[in-house]
Amino acid sequence: MKLKNTCLVAAAIGLIASCQKSETAATESPAASGPSTALTAVIDAAPAGEAKAIHVVRTTAKPGDVVTVSGRVMGNANPFVEGRAAFILGDPEVLTACSDIPGDACDTPWDNCCDSPEDKKRGIATVQIVDAEGRVLKEGIEGIGGVEKLATLTISGTVAEGSTGDLLVINANAIDVGE
Amino acid sequence: MLPFSYAARNLFRSKTRLLQTIGGSALVVLLVMAAVAINQGMNKVLSASGSPRNVILVGAGSEESVQRSEVPEGAAAIASASVPGVSETLGIRAVSGEIHYMNYLDLPGGKRTQALIRGVSPEALRVHPELRIVEGRFPRAGEVMVGRLAWRKLGIDEDDLRVGGTVTLNGQALTVAGKFAAPGTVLESEVWATLGDLRVLAQRDTLSCVVLRLDDPADFTEADLFAKQRLDLELSALRESDYYGRLSNFFGPLRAMIWVTAGLIGAGALFGGVNTLYAAFASRVREMGTLQAIGFGRGTLLLSLVQESTLACLTGALLASGLALLFLDGLTVPFSIGAFTVEIGPGVASAGIATGLFLGLLGALPPAIRCLKPALPVALRMS
Repeated sequence: MKLKNTCLVAAAIGLIASCQKSETAATESPAASGPSTALTAVIDAAPAGEAKAIHVVRTTAKPGDVVTVSGRVMGNANPFVEGRAAFILGDPEVLTACSDIPGDACDTPWDNCCDSPEDKKRGIATVQIVDAEGRVLKEGIEGIGGVEKLATLTISGTVAEGSTGDLLVINANAIDVGE
Repeated sequence: MLPFSYAARNLFRSKTRLLQTIGGSALVVLLVMAAVAINQGMNKVLSASGSPRNVILVGAGSEESVQRSEVPEGAAAIASASVPGVSETLGIRAVSGEIHYMNYLDLPGGKRTQALIRGVSPEALRVHPELRIVEGRFPRAGEVMVGRLAWRKLGIDEDDLRVGGTVTLNGQALTVAGKFAAPGTVLESEVWATLGDLRVLAQRDTLSCVVLRLDDPADFTEADLFAKQRLDLELSALRESDYYGRLSNFFGPLRAMIWVTAGLIGAGALFGGVNTLYAAFASRVREMGTLQAIGFGRGTLLLSLVQESTLACLTGALLASGLALLFLDGLTVPFSIGAFTVEIGPGVASAGIATGLFLGLLGALPPAIRCLKPALPVALRMS
């Protein structure tokens, strides 16, 4: 009987210990999959200079230029690239989020479904965070530091190679999330 | 406990009632089997049509329909050069620019019917490896290749689409150069022409989509990144499996209607069967009373009545299974974007048996309970 009780107590201790262990593991995992230093550095850095609208920068900027733009995360049904530090920034001077239209109950107001294709083309830019080799970081940016769909951002960065009057890609080095 | 032979022998007391019960249950079971088989067939063909390794680049805003999509002609070459992770064989990347065009085809005998015509280049065979040319060859200019179920989708005789025959699209006669199989996919219901021909006949200077075949489905992110980096091309990247998954959801109401129709007819047959059993059991109240008087409990008698009904309904299920195998198995059913073959497999057969059992139990319980309800003296006096 005594042996039986000892075994039960030992089993109970073992069970509690294993529960605590898994809880610790569960709390550790999000920290392990948190943003990288490179991504955090960009989110923490403050943009320099006066922010301009995307449709203005698009017509004047050339690859290699340092620019500061402001806009909202919108312009596509899925503005973020899953697992990559890249997203689409929309120009609020050209595009209107459906949530800003009174009475519009669109489920995906960030897709700008009410705007014309021409306006969409004119009013969006790709923002990406690249590593030293120029490759887009292999980690998602959605939800980090307040970078969400329809969030208003001010971004400083370099206009990427291949950008033209029809295509604006910015390699961001500072992102500020506005109110 | 009453012997099983008692229940079995009782079935033959009234052959008309037996036939009614068997016929009614056979009808319900056949309808359920048909509904399950059609649902399974449609789901199977739509899920098999989309490979998780394939990415479709469509025009932004046209994610719901490839046919409405417009993609710049040069997008295929740019995607081929830019997207990492695309399958490559002998230095050729698996990238296929395609035009999906829905229009009327004029067929031999003056028939005119709507068909999905896909304009392709030989690269299409790299992104759709499930496709096999079973007769003839890949089309050249002025020719088409037809899926082996295209005749069913077009509602014509199989012979009308024989290799060497002719179909006419927008006034241009096209020779059928080959026939292909792509088992279990909607491709089998399509007509494939050369990209060049379709560009002219559909008067398009854009593609409908670019299909990329990846080595690893996880590389979809690379294609998505490409679409979002090349905003000037106005592309949207979709997993082919997701595209067909959405189409499957689109056909949800149609499948629901199949169930509702089967359910309504089945309910009618079920109530008819219950009514038959009410009449059959009502005339046996005295017999049940006598059996109770000689010592059989109500539970035993209820079990025997349920055995009778279940036996009759399972005979109906057996008959329905035979009819389903004979008339439904292998039947090709056309729907708006293709055709599928009905298969009476183990799942469908199990659904039929389960329905037969359910009918036997549910159909027998209310009339049996009513038959056994009267008190013994009342039951014995009943005529």
